[in-house]
Amino acid sequence: MDRESILKLVGNDGRFAACQVECSLSPDGIATVWGAADTWRQVVDIGHLVARQPDIVNVVNRLRARGIEIAPQDKSGAIAAARRLGVRAEADIVIIGGGICGCAIARALARYQARIILLEKNSDISEETTKANNGYIHAGHRAAPGTLKAKLNVEGNAMYDQWHEELNFPFLRCGQLNVARTEKDMRALEKNHADGIANKVPGIRLVSAQEAKELEPALEGEIVGALLVPSLAVVEPYSVCIALAENAVSNGVDLWLNCEVLAIDLDSSSRTEAVVTEKGLIKTGWVINCAGIYADEIAAMVDDQFFSLHPRRGGIAIFDKQVKPPYKRSVSVPAPAEQKDEESKGGGFSFTPDGNILAGPSALEVPDKEDKRVEAQDIDYAYSRGAAAYPGLRRQDIIAMYSGVRAADYKEDFIIAMSGKIDGFINVAGIQSPGLAAAPAIARMVEVIVKESRAGQNNPLRLRTDFNPHREKPVEFRHLSLEEQDRLIRRNPAYGRIVCRCEQISEGEILDTIRSPITPTTVDAVKRRVRAGMGRCQGGFCQPKVVEILARELGREWTEINLKGRHAYILARKSREEGL
Amino acid sequence: MREVHLDLAVIGGGPAGLAAALEARRQGLEKVAVIERDIELGGILQQCVHDGFGLHRFGRRMSGGQYAQAFIDEVEAGGIMTECRTMVLRVSGDKKIYAVSSHKGMTLYHCRAIILAMGCRERTRNQIFIYGARPSGVLTAGTVQRYINMEGYLPGKKAVILGSGDIGLIMARRMILEGMEVEGVYEVMAHPGGLTRNIVQCLEDYDIPLHLSTTVSQIHGQERLEGVSVARVDQQRRPVKESERYIPCDLLVLAVGLIPETELARGAGIKINPLSNGPEVDQDFATSVPGIFAAGNLVAVFDLVDYVSATGETAAKGAARYLENPKAAHPRAYRVNTGENVSLAVPQIVYEGQAAQDLSLFLRVKQPGPKAALICACAGRELSRKKERFVAPPEMLAAKVPAGTFIGADLLLEIKGE
Repeated sequence: MDRESILKLVGNDGRFAACQVECSLSPDGIATVWGAADTWRQVVDIGHLVARQPDIVNVVNRLRARGIEIAPQDKSGAIAAARRLGVRAEADIVIIGGGICGCAIARALARYQARIILLEKNSDISEETTKANNGYIHAGHRAAPGTLKAKLNVEGNAMYDQWHEELNFPFLRCGQLNVARTEKDMRALEKNHADGIANKVPGIRLVSAQEAKELEPALEGEIVGALLVPSLAVVEPYSVCIALAENAVSNGVDLWLNCEVLAIDLDSSSRTEAVVTEKGLIKTGWVINCAGIYADEIAAMVDDQFFSLHPRRGGIAIFDKQVKPPYKRSVSVPAPAEQKDEESKGGGFSFTPDGNILAGPSALEVPDKEDKRVEAQDIDYAYSRGAAAYPGLRRQDIIAMYSGVRAADYKEDFIIAMSGKIDGFINVAGIQSPGLAAAPAIARMVEVIVKESRAGQNNPLRLRTDFNPHREKPVEFRHLSLEEQDRLIRRNPAYGRIVCRCEQISEGEILDTIRSPITPTTVDAVKRRVRAGMGRCQGGFCQPKVVEILARELGREWTEINLKGRHAYILARKSREEGL
Repeated sequence: MREVHLDLAVIGGGPAGLAAALEARRQGLEKVAVIERDIELGGILQQCVHDGFGLHRFGRRMSGGQYAQAFIDEVEAGGIMTECRTMVLRVSGDKKIYAVSSHKGMTLYHCRAIILAMGCRERTRNQIFIYGARPSGVLTAGTVQRYINMEGYLPGKKAVILGSGDIGLIMARRMILEGMEVEGVYEVMAHPGGLTRNIVQCLEDYDIPLHLSTTVSQIHGQERLEGVSVARVDQQRRPVKESERYIPCDLLVLAVGLIPETELARGAGIKINPLSNGPEVDQDFATSVPGIFAAGNLVAVFDLVDYVSATGETAAKGAARYLENPKAAHPRAYRVNTGENVSLAVPQIVYEGQAAQDLSLFLRVKQPGPKAALICACAGRELSRKKERFVAPPEMLAAKVPAGTFIGADLLLEIKGE
């Protein structure tokens, strides 16, 4: 493959007739495309087309869609201000990004004698892509054999039992049953089965129509056969992330919230020297880029951007718990005329460990990395993918809708490696589905990379003797027996004050999480930890109470308590001046 | 675990529950308790600082708090056990109530009868499918009311209100009085959702425009609300893209309807009526589970507090009658059917026999219109006819079966134009 043949390939494709495309190809197989297209869809399609060609290692896509301007932020002022703050800390390892990967890696490395700083630009961990997916711990039969995704997916899935045991997050290895209505569906399941066998997915097998109905008696209608995937599990993704981060912090990892990375300084031998953040400089020899959808921009900071991330939005709808999932497993039934887009990895219907039916996520290519809207098409998409398995489900039982963006690169595989150019800079990028399932294996892989790199510097990582892998299980009042509840309230009356009536969450649980290793400071941060506000009234009743508790416990004014993020204030001001 | 034995437990200390408890005492029930999750009795009335309550019952204009206090004083003087700060977790079909409180721990109430009066909650943006971003600054009207009236905080500077239900209208005026800006009220239906007097007193008197057949189609803003798109809607109530316009604002107040809080009722195995979305009740406001009654906005959203109190009293009389002879067999049951231009009816079940006194039937009109007649018929025979100058969906109407009438078949409620 060379530059000319790439241009010919694009030029000969009727879809891109009106596009003006330029291209360059580096000796190490990185194609860079630029120019103009008419639609964002064309921009993404050209990226994918080039990435699929032999010998293309990855694609940097600088194409613009006409009429869509995403203005780059000018950070020069912020960088100058940060430099004036000077060196604020030194660390052996700086991890950029408090999503599932950053937190898993922080916890994996916390077992070593090393100063680790975990940076997160939001006011809480798990605020971006990690929180907004369907919580599947995929089994690994949907990943193409031979990809890094497939390998880490299957390995990571198997490691979840230990994580669950040590970290005490809600975890349900419910298994999955994929149902075929037609012979054509069955062919697709046979392909999934073959991929599953190739990927070494444990226990995967095709089952007869009769067995499928025995496994899931609620299944209705004509069935040809089914694919049973016992190892699929479900979690609340933010719960996993928070548990990892809390355990990492308990073991000495320093978490800097509200701290965006602005630049990365290199020394004269192209080695990472310092991370420039809005809180000042952190001197460090190792930087791990877990910046999610912004990982390409972080890589550009060390002048080694060899991939582009294109945000793929996934919208999710959550249903009222009163509608109980009719199945023991996650069941998928293809819609009569299901249109599968080969690149998109949208989900159908599932349920959460707490028992809410969940639809989605959708899969929609969007130009803006901050586009976390939910549109009718997101919900329609989710319905088209799985409503067939839930015939009685009414849209009016939806209590929440939200979305996240997948950090997809154009190879549609994970990028986990030490930079070829910059010593000490490790990319953990392109982590989209099944990133949550693969996270334990991703963390282990990065651990090995760091260990080898440190050994190569004659500075081997040594294990700590005092690492504690366990995180105590938080009190969940609603899941206790009446006798246990009674005893608990007598010990601590705060558990007897129910703050969130829909989910039956007590003030005691909120106080526990405020006193946990990572203090939540926003209403949504509390919600992700204890579920207050996650029920059918969506915080209508409990939000003022949560604001009150946060203000009291953090010693802040009510007006200083945000819903989420850094600027999402709830209350503008007091209605009367003091003294009136 | 603490255990308490009661003749009657009333769950919910709002207007329905308070009226029920008082009436139960008047009916001679001894051990009556009101279980309330908040720190005080009164329910949502406590945050209603506006007046207009009590015109029917007390013949004067009162604030919500004053109306509630009139009942609370009587309850406190009347030998009724009040269990505040107590949240019911579960009601069982055999009339056991499991509740939690910080000062008493878990309590199991063994009840001979129960009246459910948990009220309703507000619909959220998700239930009416407003799409777009998810910033802060999107609140339901009741939450805004709580922040402003109870906590003393303003949740924004410039508000757009979606929905012309009464709470939305009242909050429009409140926000103006508190020094905020209200850009307008938008209503998806072709007619207002609130009482006419509230349209006049809360919007027209303050020059706040009301836009009918218009809805909020998009929410904008990453962190805090920056604006909304509003659009006119077509016949199917879908936004017309071409009519969309952007309004900068930092607060969107949703007054888009109320839903009965039926979770405890469902947990007890009580049948829910698909039209009212509350427990199905008979003329005594008894639910499908013997000994468990329901009252107030839990049964159907009544809008008018006087009706809410009245249903509490009806339920209490029913409970007293039930306790006289819990095993007594009911006469043959008939349905109250919804006919022309009627969207719901309460109660849904009546019994064969001669009505000893006037029997009130509540109903809601589907389509608004002037000069209508409320007709209650039985087996083709008109039992009552009541003329209304104007009927509109926001206002719950009352028809009646006059005392002395024999009910021997299903009833039919209709609203006909004249």
